[in-house]
Amino acid sequence: MKKAFLLIIILYGFGIRMFSQNKQLLYDFSEIPQSLIVNPGVEADFNWYAGVPLLSGISLQVGSSGVSANDIFADDGLDINDKIRDRAVFGMNPRDELSGTYQIELLNIGFRGADPDLFYSMGIYHEGDAIGYWFQDYAILAFEGNADRLNQEFDLGHLKARGEAMNVFHFGVNKRVNNRTTAGARVKLYSSIFDFNSTRNKGVFVTTEGQNNIFASTLEADMRLRTSGFNELKEAEEDGSIAGTFIKRGFFGGNLGLGVDLGFTYHLNEQTIVTASLLDLGFIYHTNDVKSYTLAGGATIEGVEVILPDALTDPNRDFWQDLVDEVEEFVPFEDDTKRYISFRPTKLNASVRYNFGEELPSRVDCDCSTVVRGGNLRKKYVNGAGAQLYMINRPRGPQVALSAFYLRRLGNVAAIKATYTVDKFSATNVGLGLNLQAGPVNLYVMADNLLAYRNIAATRYASFQLGLNIISWGRK
Amino acid sequence: MNRLRKIVTSFLLMLLVFSSCTEKQDFDQRYSVEIRPTVEASILYVEAPERIVNLVTGASFFTQDFNFDGFSSTIFSDRVIEGTITYIVENTTSKELEITVEFLDEGNNVLDTEVFSIQPAPTEIVQREIAYGDNGRSIDIIKNSSGIRVSALNLGDNTSTSSLPDPKITLKSSGKFRVRLR
Repeated sequence: MKKAFLLIIILYGFGIRMFSQNKQLLYDFSEIPQSLIVNPGVEADFNWYAGVPLLSGISLQVGSSGVSANDIFADDGLDINDKIRDRAVFGMNPRDELSGTYQIELLNIGFRGADPDLFYSMGIYHEGDAIGYWFQDYAILAFEGNADRLNQEFDLGHLKARGEAMNVFHFGVNKRVNNRTTAGARVKLYSSIFDFNSTRNKGVFVTTEGQNNIFASTLEADMRLRTSGFNELKEAEEDGSIAGTFIKRGFFGGNLGLGVDLGFTYHLNEQTIVTASLLDLGFIYHTNDVKSYTLAGGATIEGVEVILPDALTDPNRDFWQDLVDEVEEFVPFEDDTKRYISFRPTKLNASVRYNFGEELPSRVDCDCSTVVRGGNLRKKYVNGAGAQLYMINRPRGPQVALSAFYLRRLGNVAAIKATYTVDKFSATNVGLGLNLQAGPVNLYVMADNLLAYRNIAATRYASFQLGLNIISWGRK
Repeated sequence: MNRLRKIVTSFLLMLLVFSSCTEKQDFDQRYSVEIRPTVEASILYVEAPERIVNLVTGASFFTQDFNFDGFSSTIFSDRVIEGTITYIVENTTSKELEITVEFLDEGNNVLDTEVFSIQPAPTEIVQREIAYGDNGRSIDIIKNSSGIRVSALNLGDNTSTSSLPDPKITLKSSGKFRVRLR
């Protein structure tokens, strides 16, 4: 119940663009097959791998840049209404956001081709995410109202929200181009289950001194909410077939889209590497079960106005209804079923890494040491350190996170990566990731913002990832 | 192998050290959340030029019932807690006038009456605030009002004309109400 209430607060309190998780721990962690998902051009040395269905990749992230649960619900003797007013309504600003995302791999496999320089990977994952920016002026209107706020413009553009759930079918190719460069690309087919977005709203509501009457109330609005999938899901809920409908829409029964991931790894020298990836350069075309709502126009009213003698011409005139009709005519609320395109939130990852320390023995059982089936493999070192950049396009512009990291390999059986990340959620985000290799079994677990766990209710960002795979590097 | 064990143990210990602490939270506070904004807007504006006033004398030169569903609509009436209605009456005609504002329910029964007697020009603007709720008249008057009747009585002659430009009687009104959204 408490969790449900928190979720409602999260969804209700923020007006909610798709947001994908910053996977700084997983990025360029080449021992883990899922690193191919965040950079299709990672240096993969697997012969083949198979993710354990439903367990190969699970990730969850929740972030709030403005307020934490502790800020509101701490048992501190303060009136919750004062806390909401001071810390949320007036303490946050329209750039503050609350966002969440989850991803579950349903299937993920990879194998090296006849050409040993080529590695193919493919699979399906389910993803859901949402983001909402703090609609401050709406909150002020709701908590305080417009009274005694003459000439204060309430910005209707503060409502920016977006959310969706989908299945992603992907196929990637990773190619060792030469001894310095590995490049990769992944094509994605998106099968959208549902989508909503309301990100380009404009307008104001303002109360001013009236020309005739005491006050004039003005509404100028250009607002739109686009949705797909909700009607079918609602009907399915009533029919008791929600699970089946959810699955059907996720497997090509909903709306479809296309996307591509690109990435590379390049050795500046023996020990210094730069990488980059561009993810989800794509779109979804919504044609199925689409419903959009608009509120567009402008009107200024000063209450019911009766000006004699004109008002006497029709004694049965309903001035109130005329006023209502006038507002509805000038600011019509309409709906339609027009098709629309939603663009996926494109992500950019980049890193520079310096490897040092002892060289690791190759996993591949051959006399060739660092050579796998004809392709030249680079040496692996015990230590790696560097910096990473993550950017994602958002309704209010690109959002950036910077990370410093240290990677420590313990033979070929374990590796630990630690990160320190600065972003809009936290300036003290320390994360840890552990990769274990027990024979062919690969297990990884990662968690973010660990310092904040000292008081988990006060954290504004939490994230974890885990997965289980079977990996082969070739015949022993 | 020992080295691996140490590393894994250290990793788990670090996770344990960092995790599992939280300050006491009281989620029952949600039941105490109150969302009670105060909203204000104009209600009714009536304007009559002096030539209309001069049509009759000693009797009502204007009486009209206005449908006003703003108060009785459930979205408002179920939520309104208290409020104030402000009237501003301005007379720039040359005669004394009496303006009566009555709130009517669905059956046209009078729920509340406000009378304004206003002297001929030059006169000060008459402004009056009527409170409803705990510190004023019953808020039920507002909740049950679905119409407004305005009557205007000419208490002077019907021949004189004010020397002021565009002489007229105007009634302005606005409402300022606190409503319970939660």
